[in-house]
Amino acid sequence: MEITITLRGTLKKLFGPDKERKVEVPDHCTCDEALRAVGINYKEIPNFGFVAVNGMRVMIDDKLSPGDELKAWSRISGG
Amino acid sequence: MTMLGYQNKVLRIDLTKKGASFEPLRMDFAKKYVGSKGLAIRYMYEELDPGIDPLGPENKLFLTTGPLTGTPVPCSGKLSVAAKSPATGTMNDCSIGGHVGIRLKYAGYDMVIFEGKLSEPGYILIDDGKIRFMDASHLWGLGSHEAESILAKEYGTEYSIMSIGPAGENLCVMSCINSDYYRQAGRGGIGAVMGSKNMKAIVIRGTGGVKVNDIENTTNRIMELLRESVVTEDNQFIYDDGTTAFLEACNDGGILPWKNFSDTTDEKWTEYNGDVLKQHRVGKRGCGSCGLGCGNFLQIGDAICEGPEYESISVAGPNAGVRDPEKIVKFNQVADDMGLDTISAGDTIIWAMEMTEKGIHDFGIKFGEADKMIEYLKLMAKNEGVGKDLALGTKRASEKFGGTEFAMQVKGLEYPQYEPRGSWAMSVSYAVSDRGACHMRSYAPNEEVFAASVPPYTGENKGQLVYNLAEFNAIKFSLCICDFWGTIDYDIMAELLTIVTGETWTAEDMSTIGRRVINIGRAFNQREGFNRSHDTVPKRVVTEALKSGPAKGQVIPPEVFDDMLSQYYQVMGWDENGIMPDDLVASLL
Repeated sequence: MEITITLRGTLKKLFGPDKERKVEVPDHCTCDEALRAVGINYKEIPNFGFVAVNGMRVMIDDKLSPGDELKAWSRISGG
Repeated sequence: MTMLGYQNKVLRIDLTKKGASFEPLRMDFAKKYVGSKGLAIRYMYEELDPGIDPLGPENKLFLTTGPLTGTPVPCSGKLSVAAKSPATGTMNDCSIGGHVGIRLKYAGYDMVIFEGKLSEPGYILIDDGKIRFMDASHLWGLGSHEAESILAKEYGTEYSIMSIGPAGENLCVMSCINSDYYRQAGRGGIGAVMGSKNMKAIVIRGTGGVKVNDIENTTNRIMELLRESVVTEDNQFIYDDGTTAFLEACNDGGILPWKNFSDTTDEKWTEYNGDVLKQHRVGKRGCGSCGLGCGNFLQIGDAICEGPEYESISVAGPNAGVRDPEKIVKFNQVADDMGLDTISAGDTIIWAMEMTEKGIHDFGIKFGEADKMIEYLKLMAKNEGVGKDLALGTKRASEKFGGTEFAMQVKGLEYPQYEPRGSWAMSVSYAVSDRGACHMRSYAPNEEVFAASVPPYTGENKGQLVYNLAEFNAIKFSLCICDFWGTIDYDIMAELLTIVTGETWTAEDMSTIGRRVINIGRAFNQREGFNRSHDTVPKRVVTEALKSGPAKGQVIPPEVFDDMLSQYYQVMGWDENGIMPDDLVASLL
């Protein structure tokens, strides 16, 4: 299925000049699996923050649907 | 015992007698509380008798630096501004950026204490060892920006200026203190303390320096830390976006409040987000010793301000039902000029919007009425018209008119812009904060929202989480390190203190002192009569489920809030009523 992955915060650099990418991922894969499909293993990124799908915060193991926008954030700290 | 990094001098200014004296810094206090926040609270505990009127001459204003202030340590340029709060009756310490802290330190002072009251409006000139009591009759009544312009023209760029606007002059419990046009000591009515002393401004120049232990190694290590820990990709967002970065993250995370915290999330957030605001950036600025430069000046039309920060964007934007970036910038500009805390003033106006729309009391303003919101700031600052009632703040105004269930405040300090139904521990952070609802004491979204580490919609282990975050910030702000050095840790803090002061500090010391700082703040409040009954949560948070956004359906069951609060008390060693035992209080002194 096709989804859009957007990286925010300091994760942006992982996509080079692209703000987002449309990618093909296995049907009903998880957010974790979708990120791995583009070479991002969140466990290996110390400042990996959270993920949101279609503007809603979800957990890393939640499943995706066709056409979803998956946004991955680095941690931002402060107040 | 004198440690390096300190000036070992306190300037005490008697406003009533128009006199000034110098005394040694209480090094016994400094060893236990370090500086800035912790040191200020310890001095307040010592010098402010319980029960005094925060707007009376017995209240004192404490400006407190730390041992790192004025050194090249990155992000160390802030200043604690503290007093008993007119808004809450608790202790209040604010943190103001800019250059004023460094200039005070270079003038030779660890701390300046203002006592008593001027007989007529004046400003205080601190020029190294020269202290002058100046007439401010030509400044009284002016907005902060105009007053600072006049003083800046007279004194020049070597001087920093702290000022109040009409809000502080009129003793508004939501008034702030400005510095150098663009930074604020914002919360708890600290501006009214200055106003109650007839002080319009403080003008400061310092031409000295700060002695540190082993300057060569200090400088080398600081350069390493700048490269390794400060100016890094992890902190880059602060330079690039400032706190506007929080807008999108909070919206995605389900904690961006909408229309007086009646809901969360705005699908049209891109109309006023960081990308939009950045297009209107006309300048950048950093505080003294800063390595990050988060300050941004924006201009849209005739609206110009430094910021707006996330808090101001949220309260004047989605939380007011407004999506116009120009109006948001204008709101910020007018609040700063009037000398009003954007969070509290904004929250009070949006409460009034809901009151009007619900037909409980007609304050003449509804959600989305941005121009009126800006006009109401002026009325509140000047105590005119509807502003007289709104200047009371949400607690007192809701006690008078109703609508207490959606008066978003704790102890009389209004809620910052993080919805706790999307981050349950935050409800306790707000409840137990030493100065009323504050997000800077224990910033729960760091773990519950912006990281995947802690589930946000449960009360399990949240007492410990709130404590861990509170301890970290308590010691960080007692070192006077800026919040945005997000990658600092206890090892770095201890190392910096060691190389600057020449005394050995450990990471364990940082933890111990952080806990002690939390406790001394609680001890001050306890002595004023505060207990569990004051560590509250607005009724809305425990009765109304969110209708949309990532936290849709979430509401904090009251028994869960109570349990999280009890957990926190247990972690702190307080009893079920939130009271510290006598031996714990004694150990702090």
